[in-house]
Amino acid sequence: MVKQLKFVFKYAFGLDQAGNRFTVYPDDTFLVSYPKSGNTWVRFLLGNLIYPNEEVGFSNINRLVPSPDVLSRRFLKKLPRPRILKSHQPFDTRFKKVVYLVRDPRDVVISEYHFNLKKRYIAPDVSLEQFAERFLAGKTADYGSWWMHTASWISARQGDSDFLLVRYEDLLAYPLRETERIALFLAIDANPERLQLAIDRSSADRMRKLEKQQFSQWTGTKNTRAEIPFVRAAKSGGWKESLPPHIAEQIEASWTPMLELLGYEVRNPAEIKVSIPIKKNPDFGI
Amino acid sequence: MMKRLIAGGRHFLGLHKPGRNLNVWPDDIFLVSYPKSGNTWTRFLIANLVYPKKNPDFSNINQLIPDPEAMSKRDLDRSPRPRILKSHQYFDPRYQKVIYIVRDPRDVVLSEYHFDIKRRAISEDYPLSQFVERFVRGELNHPNGTWGENAASWVYTRANDPRFLLIRYEALQSQAMEEMGKIARFLSLAVGPEELRRAIDLSAADRMRDLEKKQGHLWSSTRETRQDKPFVRSAKSGGWKKELPEIGIAEIESKWGSLMRDVGYELVVSSFSESGMPGMANKS
Repeated sequence: MVKQLKFVFKYAFGLDQAGNRFTVYPDDTFLVSYPKSGNTWVRFLLGNLIYPNEEVGFSNINRLVPSPDVLSRRFLKKLPRPRILKSHQPFDTRFKKVVYLVRDPRDVVISEYHFNLKKRYIAPDVSLEQFAERFLAGKTADYGSWWMHTASWISARQGDSDFLLVRYEDLLAYPLRETERIALFLAIDANPERLQLAIDRSSADRMRKLEKQQFSQWTGTKNTRAEIPFVRAAKSGGWKESLPPHIAEQIEASWTPMLELLGYEVRNPAEIKVSIPIKKNPDFGI
Repeated sequence: MMKRLIAGGRHFLGLHKPGRNLNVWPDDIFLVSYPKSGNTWTRFLIANLVYPKKNPDFSNINQLIPDPEAMSKRDLDRSPRPRILKSHQYFDPRYQKVIYIVRDPRDVVLSEYHFDIKRRAISEDYPLSQFVERFVRGELNHPNGTWGENAASWVYTRANDPRFLLIRYEALQSQAMEEMGKIARFLSLAVGPEELRRAIDLSAADRMRDLEKKQGHLWSSTRETRQDKPFVRSAKSGGWKKELPEIGIAEIESKWGSLMRDVGYELVVSSFSESGMPGMANKS
């Protein structure tokens, strides 16, 4: 009974976790990605870019670039506008202005595997191979498979002026150019000094240091296995060494059209009768 | 304050309509389409096939093929399983088994125009060309997204998936037996041609018009709308060729041309007939 009353009050005051039920405002901007695709890194980049006078860290990132999945509806409602919100949702028609961050799924699966071990979502003896099977079937996340996620956003929105597609790999290789693209998209003053400062303050090394100091103050790392870091390799192409070749082949075989569309290496393209009809090829500027 | 507590209490008791926040069970089957794409007709077809003894009509269709936008969470949670649910939602990763009905957007916009007049969302003299423009730009404030967003988000995420069945409204009209056969197999129903024929006859446009006249006041989608305008309208395809202004056709085809072609609709404005997507042509 007490529990039930608690629910009524929590709902009435908007203290329940927002999940997907929060109010979206027309001036909201969303940073969307499949899990383990560099979302936290870009949150830091944006935080440092927009709030150069704040010391952006794990302790305050939920306030600066909030995540509706772990915050209450009331908290989200009271944030100053315009808001920049982080999300892992597949296509959501309410999200108008969207930065969509995408990463090679062969790296995503490795990152997600380690993260699930850290979070104790999977038992310590689950192998990467076992995990990858479930990853391919879209059973490791509540947001659908990597294919469904990218296909839902890209087929519905690519080519729209308020949709920006960013590859994690480009952000690593050309941080200044890619951060500038994001800044222009968000209409943030993007002089080179300011961009460089944000990039430096969001470097993997700096994030690793901050993680050591603040891991207990962030929802993503609190009460997780401390011996596994959250900020791990922060590299691309790690799958070539650490992913069993037959899994990489399986990913290629299942998702060839999207890998090709996104410009990711495909060694043995599969004959799959699906095209992703976007209005134009994404312009990665390379 | 009191209002909020009431809302909280209603939520707690499950009296609110869950819509997109529906509790999904693993054995659920979804009948999904963009609005005004033949969803109600298909609901009747499926209800007549699956529940032949219940005499499906407008008074009980919400119980037979429940609608999360029109029914309370409590009633939905209590519906007998496995449920076959109606939905207009854009892609939802929780929906496993899905029948998606797609209809030519040039007809969808006409149907929606007339429906909006019926439910008094626009006046009778609202210019059709302006309506089309807003339809294409996503300015009708649709919780289900634009036609293109809704269809693309399902078609490309679930293509080649054995738990996804794509049905064209136009094919359902021109070759009802074949398409109903696909639906029956997808639902693993052991039915023969007689049962299919019966379900098709009982869901004919004429019969639905008669039922609407008698029962329009009993059904959530027609209650409190203009009774001088029918819900079951022409029930035809290709009406756009006569009724839709040329500029409207061009707008629709320029916005959604490649998707329309992919689901089998022919474009008539030639400049949009080229592939909008170099290098990503169909590999078949």
